[in-house]
Amino acid sequence: MSTDARVEDRLRALAPQVLGALVRRHGQFDACEDAVQEALIAAAAQWPQEGVPDNPRAWLLTVAGRRLTDAWRSDSARRAREDSALAAEPADARVAPGADLELEALDADTSPDEDDTLSLLLHCCHPELSAPSQIALTLRAVGGLTTAEIASAFLVPEATMAQRISRAKARIRATGTVFALGPGHDREERLRTVLHVLYLVFNEGYTASSGQELARTDLTAEAIRLTRAVRGLLPDDGEVEGLLALMLLTDARRAARTAADGSLVPLAEQDRGRWNAQEIAEGVALITDALARAPLGPYQVQAAIAAVHAEAAEASETDWPQIVALYRVLERIAPNPMVTLNHAVAVAMVDGPQAGLALLATLDGALAESHRLVAVRAHLLELAGDEDAARDAYREAARRTTSLPERRHLEGRAAKVV
Amino acid sequence: MKYMILIYDNAQSREQFHSEEGAALMAEVNAIMAEITESGEMIGGEALADPSNTKTIRLQGGVPVVTDGPLAEAKEHFGGYLLVECETPERAAEIARRWPSARFTPLEVRPLMSPDGAEM
Repeated sequence: MSTDARVEDRLRALAPQVLGALVRRHGQFDACEDAVQEALIAAAAQWPQEGVPDNPRAWLLTVAGRRLTDAWRSDSARRAREDSALAAEPADARVAPGADLELEALDADTSPDEDDTLSLLLHCCHPELSAPSQIALTLRAVGGLTTAEIASAFLVPEATMAQRISRAKARIRATGTVFALGPGHDREERLRTVLHVLYLVFNEGYTASSGQELARTDLTAEAIRLTRAVRGLLPDDGEVEGLLALMLLTDARRAARTAADGSLVPLAEQDRGRWNAQEIAEGVALITDALARAPLGPYQVQAAIAAVHAEAAEASETDWPQIVALYRVLERIAPNPMVTLNHAVAVAMVDGPQAGLALLATLDGALAESHRLVAVRAHLLELAGDEDAARDAYREAARRTTSLPERRHLEGRAAKVV
Repeated sequence: MKYMILIYDNAQSREQFHSEEGAALMAEVNAIMAEITESGEMIGGEALADPSNTKTIRLQGGVPVVTDGPLAEAKEHFGGYLLVECETPERAAEIARRWPSARFTPLEVRPLMSPDGAEM
């Protein structure tokens, strides 16, 4: 690993700790976030040349603290100029906050940062924010990514992403949220939102096509890194462990999920020799541990299903009865139409395509417009030997999808039906 | 999901925007642009010049030939677009419905094709 890459990793790990400590001390999330970004940029420029300081966290806290003081000072000066005609007190009196920041910064270095990082995550995934804003803010404030990096990962202009971030910060400021949440129901719910945001980040990276820039698939690595960090903070939470397992077991298939020409390879046709054995081993160990000791949750069940697939050496050796049983559990604890769709595929593998089609028929209202429903119906019709209907359904699904690789895949499936 | 909002014109509708009453219409345009910029939904957008400036490339005897003027004499022609990213298709349709040209000419909201794809 190059010096630059080592410095970057170090900075990305330190970013949430420094920001969390600063916000805990001073409030004003948005001002602190700007100050930390500036400190990270300064460090990225200086450290590779001058060497990493002995106490990098204290260095960042000091520099960010100074930026914060500067920002306040110039704000105060501006305000003082604006109302100088009325102001009886000297402008200096308004500079008070942050005057002793550097001393505090040194002191902060000895305090635990775990709660700060978690508070920061809960803060960025504030329920008042839209999902895109939660994602953008989490990647910037907790992940330490630049706005330009996040914009390129989500294929939008930098100005659009910058706007989403500043809007999110303004929204949080308007709600006047307390930074650290005490234990209780709200905290538990907020934690579920954090996990969902991390899941969305992972998915955005995982579905990126292989021909795309590295920045996009890096989102999977970032999601895994952050989920690992959350697991370090909450080692007893089974859903955190389940989500990490789900990510690893899914990511393990990445190299096999696309062919050399970028086309999608379905699970049943993937070269399982190209699956990442190390990620599978870690994912299976995690989910086994979670299932043995924690209350059951939807991420754990999804990870368990992924583990059953991962443990089959050949597609034909897949333990479909076990997968059907797991989907039944998932339908019970977290029912949603996409779960039913996948359940129908598994049922078809155990009880035949007609049984799967019967389950699909219960979905027409909920997913009537979805290309996925039509694609699954096409597949089951093909298994049932109804070639004409299968071909029509594949073509219908191909027209409905808004994904280019999926469209190519479905057109290809339609052409193969004889 | 990203959507393109396709804005259609006819000869009169474009003039409406440039006439005296046009200032109020342009103010509405600016207000919507400000709203979707502030919300982080706006990705881009452009207006096209008058269709009389068009060159059309068309196959003639197996060879692409360039001619002056638009493809066909139509009541409406493509006049410009907005590119937005919205959480729901309903939200994208809502932006289009409020675009002031909707009072004179139709608009279309079409999802973009994504380069991403899931295993099926």
